[in-house]
Amino acid sequence: MAEKAILYDATRCTACRGCQVACKQWNENDEYIPTEENGVDSRNWGSYENPPDLSPTTWLKMEFREVEPSDGSVRWLFTRRACMHCTDAACVQVCPNGSLYHHELGFVAYNKDTCTGCGYCIDACPFDVPRSDRNILTGIAKMDKCTFCTTQGLDRIDAGWEPACVKTCPTGALKYGERSDLVAEGKKRVQELKKKGWTNANLYGENELGGLHVLYVLDDSPEIYGLPVSPQIPAATIAWKDVIQPVGWAVGGLTIAGLGLNWLVARANVKKEEK
Amino acid sequence: MTHHEVEKYRKPVRVLHWIHSGAFVLLFLTGLVLFIPQLGFLAEDSWTRLIHRIGAAIFVIIPIIYLIINPKSVCRGLKEAFTWSSEDMGWLKAAPRYYFVIGDERDMPPQEAMNTGQKMWWFMVLVFGVIFVITGAVMWFAKTSAPPAVLQWMVFIHDVCFIATGCMFFVHIYTGVFHPLMTEAWNSITGGKVSVEYARKHHGKWYAEVSKGKKEA
Repeated sequence: MAEKAILYDATRCTACRGCQVACKQWNENDEYIPTEENGVDSRNWGSYENPPDLSPTTWLKMEFREVEPSDGSVRWLFTRRACMHCTDAACVQVCPNGSLYHHELGFVAYNKDTCTGCGYCIDACPFDVPRSDRNILTGIAKMDKCTFCTTQGLDRIDAGWEPACVKTCPTGALKYGERSDLVAEGKKRVQELKKKGWTNANLYGENELGGLHVLYVLDDSPEIYGLPVSPQIPAATIAWKDVIQPVGWAVGGLTIAGLGLNWLVARANVKKEEK
Repeated sequence: MTHHEVEKYRKPVRVLHWIHSGAFVLLFLTGLVLFIPQLGFLAEDSWTRLIHRIGAAIFVIIPIIYLIINPKSVCRGLKEAFTWSSEDMGWLKAAPRYYFVIGDERDMPPQEAMNTGQKMWWFMVLVFGVIFVITGAVMWFAKTSAPPAVLQWMVFIHDVCFIATGCMFFVHIYTGVFHPLMTEAWNSITGGKVSVEYARKHHGKWYAEVSKGKKEA
């Protein structure tokens, strides 16, 4: 099946944060209570940005950035922060029991019921997106992140609708559709921006980590927008998943096989000796 | 048939052994569910993590209690684990033939209370035990404060220890319980005693010392 994606055009975003609210409302994520354990404190910290970080109940948030280019002006830039729905998703690789998986339309969905709360995905994500409510003492936890509006019982995609954030966007900064169409559209927009003098304009997410399912039209380098220039699956993820796990199977298997063999040979020899 | 027996493990050591190994089995099984994807469903809702932590607490506290009660025994044990001689090399060379072909003990240098193989396992228990506890403590208490990369490498190191000790654990059970020649290893750690013949055969050096000190046995 063709892959779907979201295209975020940062140059059209006014940071009204309608998407943030729509996301919470649709997914029934009540505002995070700061007094709760691991809660995100929403005190005034000198920014219009609020809440200050993603949380188990804040799957999407707009980041504000003040940038001062060399010409003395000030730019106020907005970045959409939520799951990027990678094709090569580190979280899917480290999830011990397949609770995180790729939806047939390409993005990264998960089954909260089966989540073990190990937190491996939180540590592996190159974009620092997943969050969990964790009891430090007992270790009881559940991961949460953007589900691309496929939460069980609240599945907008299955119903043929667009995600709540896209639906509510008043400026057309967010679009939902076939990934290939959105890549083409994003590229076209980048060309327009370049013509207008934004020489660093680029489409972020086309090839990063095998292709993200959230694409960004940016008028400047990803760094300026707080995005990793070349996101990678962490070395520890590869070392654990592709080296340690197969090695564990092999060494464990050989040990058991060796002991079994030893038992057969030793027992035969003992019997021989008895005779 | 008269049984001449000699005490191999005193009661506190045996109690330590069984509580500690019980904790290890608990930790092994509740860790295994995150290592084998097909068993992952057992870990749903974090319950295995809770059991893992209870096991971890026992795993740490019991040796500490033993250390307080019996520091001399711990010192002796530590010294043994780190004392290696050419006799150990001799044992290692003779071991494959001994264990597989049932060669006679004469090929093997006389052993202390712990033979080289047991000493290797004891050494692993000490070293990997400490690494387990350190990496585990980081994952337990610094899960929300340590940098993600640090936590990922903690999992990695924890799992390397898991594979190494897990495999040696199988070997330990096998040689202690199932191997056709280790007829009295099980008795020594359950009831504490082994027969004189067994002691002489398997732990000659140790038996010589014991029999010198005590007329009986």
